[in-house]
Amino acid sequence: MTVVEQTGAPKTTPPGRARRRPSPLGSKWTPYLFLAPAALFILVFQAVPLLQEVYLSFTRTRLLNPTRSEWVGLDNFNRIFGDPEFHRTLLITVIYVITCVVVAIGAGLVVALLLNKKFRGRGVARALVTVPWAAPGIAVALIATWMLNAQYGIVNRFLDAVGLGVPGGAILDSPRYALPAVLATTIWQLFPFTSVVLLSALQSVPQDLNEAATVDGAGRWATFRAVTWQVIKPTVGLLALLMTIWSLRRFELIWLMTKGGPVGSTETLVIDLYSQAFDSKELGSAAAIGMVGVVISLIVIIGSRLVARAVEKGDVR
Amino acid sequence: MRRFRFGVTARIIAVLVVLGVAVFPLYWMFVTALSSNSDLFADQPRLTPDLGQFGVFVDALAEGKAAGWLLNSLIIAVGTMVVSVGLGIPLGYALSRFSFWGKAVVTVVLLFTQMLPEALMVVPLFALFRRFELLDSLTGLVLVNSAFVLPIVALILKGAIDGIPKELEEAARADGARPFTTLTRINVPLIAPSIAATAVIAFFHAWNEYVFAVTFIFNPDLQPASVGIANFIGELGTPIQTVMAVAFLFTLPAVAFYLLVQKYVVSGMTAGAVKG
Amino acid sequence: MGNQRSHFGIARATCALGLVAALLTGCGSDGDSGDGVTKLTFAASTFGDPGRGPLLTKWLDEFNQSQTKVQVSAAAVPYPTFGQTVLTQMGSGKGPDLVRFDMPEFEAASDAGLVAPLDKVIDASKYDLLKQPDQFMVHDGVRHGVIFEASNYAMFYNADLIPTPPTTYEQFTATAKSLTKGDVFGLAFRQTEAEEAGVWQDIFNYVYGFGGAWSDGKNLTINSPENLKGLQAFKDLYDANVIPRGADAATFRRMFAEGKVGMELNNGGYVTATRGQNAKLNFSVAPIPFPVRKQGAILAPIVINEASEGKEEAGTFIKWALEPQNQVKLQEILGASSVATTTQRSAETLKQTPFLTVFDGLTETSLPQIVLGFEAKTPDIRKVVVQNVVAALQGKADLKSALDRAQQQATELVR
Repeated sequence: MTVVEQTGAPKTTPPGRARRRPSPLGSKWTPYLFLAPAALFILVFQAVPLLQEVYLSFTRTRLLNPTRSEWVGLDNFNRIFGDPEFHRTLLITVIYVITCVVVAIGAGLVVALLLNKKFRGRGVARALVTVPWAAPGIAVALIATWMLNAQYGIVNRFLDAVGLGVPGGAILDSPRYALPAVLATTIWQLFPFTSVVLLSALQSVPQDLNEAATVDGAGRWATFRAVTWQVIKPTVGLLALLMTIWSLRRFELIWLMTKGGPVGSTETLVIDLYSQAFDSKELGSAAAIGMVGVVISLIVIIGSRLVARAVEKGDVR
Repeated sequence: MRRFRFGVTARIIAVLVVLGVAVFPLYWMFVTALSSNSDLFADQPRLTPDLGQFGVFVDALAEGKAAGWLLNSLIIAVGTMVVSVGLGIPLGYALSRFSFWGKAVVTVVLLFTQMLPEALMVVPLFALFRRFELLDSLTGLVLVNSAFVLPIVALILKGAIDGIPKELEEAARADGARPFTTLTRINVPLIAPSIAATAVIAFFHAWNEYVFAVTFIFNPDLQPASVGIANFIGELGTPIQTVMAVAFLFTLPAVAFYLLVQKYVVSGMTAGAVKG
Repeated sequence: MGNQRSHFGIARATCALGLVAALLTGCGSDGDSGDGVTKLTFAASTFGDPGRGPLLTKWLDEFNQSQTKVQVSAAAVPYPTFGQTVLTQMGSGKGPDLVRFDMPEFEAASDAGLVAPLDKVIDASKYDLLKQPDQFMVHDGVRHGVIFEASNYAMFYNADLIPTPPTTYEQFTATAKSLTKGDVFGLAFRQTEAEEAGVWQDIFNYVYGFGGAWSDGKNLTINSPENLKGLQAFKDLYDANVIPRGADAATFRRMFAEGKVGMELNNGGYVTATRGQNAKLNFSVAPIPFPVRKQGAILAPIVINEASEGKEEAGTFIKWALEPQNQVKLQEILGASSVATTTQRSAETLKQTPFLTVFDGLTETSLPQIVLGFEAKTPDIRKVVVQNVVAALQGKADLKSALDRAQQQATELVR
């Protein structure tokens, strides 16, 4: 990491030191010049708004009069934490995130193993399987809503045909089935990503090791555990982190499919935040909900770093 | 031998099922677009596209505002791609090749910003945009989308640059090349696949973006397709065929573009992601 | 030296990038044209209605052709998110110059000072305004809007499926039940939270049609026995599976147009839209057959955004709209709705659509869908009520306790 200073200067020393040597100031500031434009950008469009949001979370601010805020201290936080509906939101967020992580990675791994074997048309298959990932979220929400339409949706017609029909057929309108339907749609969109990433991780599994293990008489599962899993473990960890963060922020798909309903059964933190801000027009409590989300994400990131470090040290298998 | 054959058959079936699941919704979008009203509301759905209805695509583009929407999306996506990659390359380079005070902070900030939901930022950004007269402009959307996709772009490119042997640069530097020249002459060509990957990621990010577009754009002539299509949901009476036709036209370039460059996207994304 | 050059290089590259971005996006930016023409936007969900939207756009074109200094363009914000989108923009001092609001949003926006007073812009005494709806346009002596469309709720029915319309609630449910078979539903109404504003409109008829009210003008009466009775009737129909559950208005109105839904309580504005979807549908309209002849009315004011930079020009548009011949045209576009002023329906129109008189006869008993005494809080109260009613429909609570809860939550809101 600290290459430049160590190696750059001595090499150029003798011939043109006076002319070419970067002034100490120059070399010290060079990295900042490289990152300044990007940093400025992130400062203006991310840091400043985030700080403003932090401030808002301690105020009562109405959407219709956003310039008139009233400092209320911790009121917003007290209120949301005292609200059983917010507890439900937290629970649904956890269910949503964990299901997304586990099922998307699990399904991705199965598909990756399937597509890792050589067969004719593998290239086409690998390309086609990525289609859901490439499809825009808006279009996905739209087609999912249409496919799940209670009266004319193909899903209900299929379920009815095989005798598993939901009474009335209104899957997205049922507090019981709406979340599974939203989850299924999300995972449909995510599994190509996990499978493609895992597929490329599988490329570095040494085939001879696999064969050696098989020759030794180890069962498939044992071989997988001993060889493949060891190689792809870091990738799985990374995917888990990515899936967690993405699922915590996912908005369009849920919003356009259910708006968090029916009866709050698909209301994740982000949906709650948005409807607080734009339906209830309470920017203050929306910001407070957002802060809870930010803290959760921070815990996830820091936690994952700690786990990764422990794994590197060998404390955790 | 027999077991082996059975394994092959099972695998073929499994692959076909996976592909069916992956592709069916888009196929169904296409079929719905090309269905007559009587087919749509019939007891038995039609499972194949009625190619005689192909005019729906032409009508969707000619009559409605769909063509304008798609053009706006394209402008936003290309703009975002240019800005975020343009800023991401030097940032990734700085993170990969220099050690400097605050580097850890920058890295943490980049990771941190990736988890900020757009929905959280939309309110303060609205105020910011209002002050800078960026509301109701595609420029504003390009800027905000770039800011949101920049961290992942920079991290992927940092990972890619990490993978280039430093000796190449040292040789160039020994010849008197300055960091910026080294970057553009040595590193950029070598990480071209990753740049392509980040370009695609940035493009898609902006092509698909909805929350900011729906909040910051009032002028219907400036609406991108994501907003236009989302507005179909719950809008009274636009025929579902038109809706699906527009959505299909919106999806097709994204999928096609992605399939074209997916090799680079995957290698870039994993290189960046795994090391980032 | 060299380092400096490289720094300039970065700076230059950054500038170039910025320039490219500006060029790329600049062509799409909106700007005031320099030729002295004021460009205004007019947001109305009506522009997205089938049948009515295109006609209304033509009406707008007529205005634009009659003007040299003002041009108004349509902004079609879709109905489900209309209030949310437009109020957000207006709250930040932006948004369309002219807005067609529904009453709840109109009240909230005027209360928050987002709507420009119209007294100086137009002289209301010059027009023959319909008094009943117009009284709601004035708050404490200040005029905030002019009626764009006023439309009473009635029962739309498919005359092929229902030769004689029901006249009592019992007949109404019996008809709904007997029609529901196969892919045909007897009735349709909105019942999901995603369509909060629509559910509010639909339950309004049940509450007031069974003698209930949301308030007595001073206190909220959300959980009154009459309201419970009306909403129980609503829930019974939901439970009886005589409606296409989960279908949104867009879907079930298309179904109505396709002959797959027998009855629907809707406002007069939907006559044109239904014809726009299926010109051949044989449908008619009768008063809602509930015990009490009281129903909701859509009152849709047109207002000028307080933040608009072209208030005077926007006033020009409203004045143009109020001219008698333009009112007549507007009314013909809007169908069975009435407009701001008294207009005569032509004999030809009446021959074409004889049931128009049904709507006109309901004006005396129709009420705007707001909470009297708590007008500005209507959107907040609506949210609470709809959430709890939907929870009851979904079996998450019994209706009585859902209404008690709504009463308690709403009371807290308005305190």
